[in-house]
Amino acid sequence: MNTFIYGVLPYIALTIMVGGTIIRYAYGERGWTTKSSEFLSKQDLKWGSYLFHGGLFMAVGGHFVGILVPKFVTEAAGTGEHAYHMIALAGGIPAAILFLGGFLMLLKRRFAGSARMAANTSSIDKWLYLVLLLTIVSGTAATIQNIPGAFDYRETISPWFRSLLMLQPDVSLMDGVPKVFQFHMFLWMVLAITFPFTRLVHCLSLPFEYFFRRDIIYRKK
Amino acid sequence: MKIKAQISMVMNLDKCIGCHTCSITCKNVWTNREGAEYMYFNNVETKPGIGYPKRWEDQDKWQGGWELKNGKLRLRSGAKLTRMAKLFYHPNQPELDDYYEPWTYDYETLINSKRKNHQPIARPRSLITQQRMEIKWGPNWEDDLADGQSARQDVNLRNMGSDIALEFHDLFMKYLPRVCNHCLNPACVAACPSGAIYKREEDGVVLVSQDGCRGWRHCIPACPYKKVYFNWKTNKAEKCIFCFPRLENGLPTVCADTCVGRLRYMGVLLYDMDKVKEAAATPDKGQIYHSVLDIIMDPHDPEVLAAARKEGIPENWLKAAQDSPVYKLVKEWQVALPLHAEYRTLPMVWYVPPLSPITRRAEADVYLPEATDMRIPLAYLAELFGAGNTQVVARALQRLLDMRLVMRAQTTGDRLPARLEFDVETYQAMHRLMGIAKYKDRFRIPAGLQETSQEKLHELQGTCGYTCPGGC
Repeated sequence: MNTFIYGVLPYIALTIMVGGTIIRYAYGERGWTTKSSEFLSKQDLKWGSYLFHGGLFMAVGGHFVGILVPKFVTEAAGTGEHAYHMIALAGGIPAAILFLGGFLMLLKRRFAGSARMAANTSSIDKWLYLVLLLTIVSGTAATIQNIPGAFDYRETISPWFRSLLMLQPDVSLMDGVPKVFQFHMFLWMVLAITFPFTRLVHCLSLPFEYFFRRDIIYRKK
Repeated sequence: MKIKAQISMVMNLDKCIGCHTCSITCKNVWTNREGAEYMYFNNVETKPGIGYPKRWEDQDKWQGGWELKNGKLRLRSGAKLTRMAKLFYHPNQPELDDYYEPWTYDYETLINSKRKNHQPIARPRSLITQQRMEIKWGPNWEDDLADGQSARQDVNLRNMGSDIALEFHDLFMKYLPRVCNHCLNPACVAACPSGAIYKREEDGVVLVSQDGCRGWRHCIPACPYKKVYFNWKTNKAEKCIFCFPRLENGLPTVCADTCVGRLRYMGVLLYDMDKVKEAAATPDKGQIYHSVLDIIMDPHDPEVLAAARKEGIPENWLKAAQDSPVYKLVKEWQVALPLHAEYRTLPMVWYVPPLSPITRRAEADVYLPEATDMRIPLAYLAELFGAGNTQVVARALQRLLDMRLVMRAQTTGDRLPARLEFDVETYQAMHRLMGIAKYKDRFRIPAGLQETSQEKLHELQGTCGYTCPGGC
C-alpha cells in the first residue's frame, strides 16, 4: 500500500497535473480564466481574497524551502536544527493563520453569502473547495501538532519528495511519518489530480509579461 | 509619419429621438446570451442623468482613463506595480448592481393559472439567481428624466460648478447613444495584464481575444466609458465589436444601419500613429480635441497618400477615406466632437451636439436663436463634448444654425447673414449629408478584407461573434 501511495500515486498525480494542464491550454484556452466572482459579490471578497492569497504565497515559499533545500545546506549555513525549526514556525504559523482564515472567509462567502454566488459555483468548484479545505486544515494541523519539534520532516518527507523528483522514489523514508503528515501528503496528490480541471490553473497566468509590453497593442489577423 | 486607417462613427445628436432601436437590434444580435443579458454594447441614455452603469462618468470613483502625472501620460488607475496588487480584488470594479440585475417574467403563470377571481400576473424572476426579485433599477431607468432625482446627480452638473435649474420651465434633456469608442489610445488595452485586448491593425477596431482573456478584470474600470463588460458565465471580458463581420463586408454596424433617425455615419479616417501619445498628453484638456484634429490627416494630400501606401493601406481604403462622411463632419466642417475628451483615450466615435429649444428669457421674437440662447446650457454640452471648452461647442452649434439659415434663405429669399464661415455650396453639402442623409452618403465602408459571405452573418447570430459560427 505504501509503495503505491508513495511510489506510484505521486507520479500519476503529477502526470495528470502537467499533462492535463498542457492539454487544457492547447484545446481549452477559451475556458482558462480566474473565474472571478467579484462582479457578483464584491464587498465580501476584499479581505478573504487578500488574506487567502497572501497566506498562499507565504505557504508556497515555506514549502519550497522546507522541501527542496536539503538539511546539510542550511546546517552548513550555520542554522542548527532547533534554530531552523523556530524560523519555520515563525513563518509557518502566521502563514497558516492567514491562509486558513482567508480560506474560511471565502468559504463562507461562497456557500453562505449572496445567492448570486451560485452562478459562479459549479460542481467541480464544490469538490475543489472540499479538497482545498482538507489540504489546508491538515497542513495547519500538522504544523501545530509538531510545534514541539519531535518529528523532523526534513529527515523523511523532504528527502522522499526529492527522491521522487530524481525518479528514484525511496518509499521507506515515509515509514513512521505521523498520520496527519501522511494525510497531507495524500491530499496534495488529490489536489494535483484536480488541478487541470479547476480554476486553479489561473495561478499559471500571473501576468509578468505585462511589465515588458508596450501600452497599446496592434494586432494583425 | 506613420499612417493608420480607422473605421470611425459620427452620431448627429440633433436628430436622435431616443427610440432605442439601436440598442435593441444590437442586443438581439450580440448580447442575447446567458452571462451577457445585462450587457448593452449600445445603449441610449437620457442626459442629464447618471447613465448606464450608474455614474459611469464619475472617474473619482472608477479611476478610468488616463491622466497626466508630472507631464507624463499614465493610466489613472495607477502604475503597473500598484495595479498588480489589484489582481486579487479590484476596488474600482463595477458590480452587477451598478448596471442592473437582469430579469425575465414568469410568463407560464398567465397560461397555467387556475380559474381565479383576479387576473393572473407574470412576476419578475432574476436571470442570475432564478429567484423572484423586485425590480429596482434597469438599463434605462431614467428614460426621459423618468427618475427625477437621478438627473440631479449627473456628474457633468457637478463639474459645471454653477447652479442648473432643473425647474419645469427651464427643464432640458437630450439623448446620448453610446457604443465602444474604439479609441486611438484605449485605456482598456493598456490596462489588460494578459495583453488580450488589441486594436486591429487594418481598421482600428478594439477587440477582446476570448482565448487570451484571463478574467483579471482590469479593463472594466480602466475604460472611462464603461464599455467593457464582464461575462459572469464565461468569466471573461466582452465589448462592442463594431460589428466587424459586417464591416468586413462593407456594411455599417447594426446600430448604425437600423437607426430610424438616420443620424449615424461611418467611414474611414487616416491618422498619424506616431503622434497619438503626444495628442493624448496635451496639457490643457480643453485643447485635446484640437490635437486630435491635427493627427487626423487629409486623405487628399499626396504626401499622406504616399505614406499610407507605404504602410500597405489598400487603394479602396484610400478611396473610402477620401469619400468619408466622417472626415467631412469631423475635420472639414468640425461639427462633430469627441465625448469626454478629457479622459485622454482619443475616442473615435464623434457627436454632433444637439440644438434645442430657446430658453424662456430669449423667447421674445427670434426665429433662429444664437447658440447661447439654447435651452440646453452650453456649459453642460461643453462638459460632455468640449472637455469644458464652451467655444468648440458654440462654434459647432453656430454652424448647424447657419446651415439652417442658408437653407431657409433659399426658399424665402431672405438676405444671407454677412458673417457666414463657409460658402453656400458647403452649407448645401452639409444639408445633404445631415438633413437628407441618404444611406449611401452616410456609410462609406470599404469591403473585401475577408472572404466572408452574407450567409455567414446569419449563422453568427446569437453567438458572441469572436470566432467561427457555433463557437463560444
